[in-house]
Amino acid sequence: MRLLLFTAAILIFGNNYQAKSQEFKPSSTQFMVRGYGHSGFEYKESDGEKESTFVGSVFNPLFIFTHNDKLLFEAELEFAFEGSDLEIGFEYANVSYVVNDYTTIRMGKFLLPFGSFIEKYHPAWINRLSNTPLGFGHDGIAPASGIGAELRGVFPINGIKVGYSLYTTNGPTLKDGSIEPEEAGMLRFNNFEDNNNGKAIGGRFSVFPFTNSSFELAGSFYSGTVGNKESPLYENVGASLYAVDFNYVKLLSGIKGIVDVKGQYNYSKVDDATYFELEEGETDPEAYTFENKSNAFYTQLSYRPTMAGSEFIKNLEFVGRYSTLNTPEESEWAEESTQTTFGINYWLSWRALLKMSYQVTNTKGGHDAAGGEVTTNGFFLHWALGF
Amino acid sequence: MKIRNLLSIVMTVAVFLIITSLYTACKSAKEITSGKGGAQIWGENCMRCHSTPSPVSYNDVDWQTTGLHMRLRGNITAQETKKVIEFLQSAN
Repeated sequence: MRLLLFTAAILIFGNNYQAKSQEFKPSSTQFMVRGYGHSGFEYKESDGEKESTFVGSVFNPLFIFTHNDKLLFEAELEFAFEGSDLEIGFEYANVSYVVNDYTTIRMGKFLLPFGSFIEKYHPAWINRLSNTPLGFGHDGIAPASGIGAELRGVFPINGIKVGYSLYTTNGPTLKDGSIEPEEAGMLRFNNFEDNNNGKAIGGRFSVFPFTNSSFELAGSFYSGTVGNKESPLYENVGASLYAVDFNYVKLLSGIKGIVDVKGQYNYSKVDDATYFELEEGETDPEAYTFENKSNAFYTQLSYRPTMAGSEFIKNLEFVGRYSTLNTPEESEWAEESTQTTFGINYWLSWRALLKMSYQVTNTKGGHDAAGGEVTTNGFFLHWALGF
Repeated sequence: MKIRNLLSIVMTVAVFLIITSLYTACKSAKEITSGKGGAQIWGENCMRCHSTPSPVSYNDVDWQTTGLHMRLRGNITAQETKKVIEFLQSAN
């Protein structure tokens, strides 16, 4: 009898517990912390000077909060060492609202869809090489992020997909040389508070002509006033930037692996303006102007033999990249550079890899250089982990 | 009015017209993903930027959040996103 009562109690309580477990439903609001980190070793040799260093860990936490299935907030920070100091970067923070299947509105600081590299491929665990191509990042001519509002979406039309993004931001600002004369005429893209009342307008339009989405071709523009409204010399100076990018990624059974080809061409044109430089020994600054046009290009090819018989070979990836940067000939920051990089990666998981690469950069000019042509050879060994 | 401002306005209007016509066309067009399963879309689209994620990497709820994040970042349609999330949730 006791055994019967005991068994009955277990069945009743067990069923109740099971019923409660099955009733569990996740809340409509969700919060996730994702991101990535990377670190490594670098060796560079330039004009007989050798330099080797371990580069400090970089940690990029990404916070994603979904209020419901239409409202999303995302923010990314970057913690990195700059010399002996810890630098904290505020990469982006924005709110997106899904209006319908084809349109999303976004506001805040966001990665600009100017081309595809910055928005899609720059995180260390996605970028197949240890650094960015020429023209991106510090002193680059391609913008990375902006503060403003954006309308974006994707349309499926009769077998193809068309993506669009249209945005307005505070826009870039013009470096007039008053603080750093050697950078007069360059654009600064971190414009947190607008220096004029003219908002920049930009957009990216892409087409996926194949139904398997393996190929994407896109064009981007970004245009606006960049001069400071309080400076009569520069208040009307504007800039127009354009980019064309493509990517083709496909598993090709004929060569037993994934082929990934991508590239981007950036073009920048800033209106003519007069800048001033003070020659050594002179007391009066000399006025000068120049045709302020720059361009940068990169293309990258990678191959990963994912269908190979050996587990080790499956995880290998071979990468090659070529990039160029040309800045205005008569500016203080005139530069003509080409860079060729070869790399071998080993994938530890779908989001963790070891990257080893050898890079040759030929630079003529550059605002940090004394002049002449310099060849820099570099060896990079990095690890990267996305989480 | 400067040529640049005029150009920006013209481009904005052109883009608006393109979007409107695409939206109209889209309403009558069949979704290209209608014949594809979530596994196929997952295999074709994720690797455009990064390696294809394993379904066991996240739980069902996390895939929902990740799916919305990737839809906005990766030019993936609403229909494709829904199918990929359903596949990942069923396979994890």
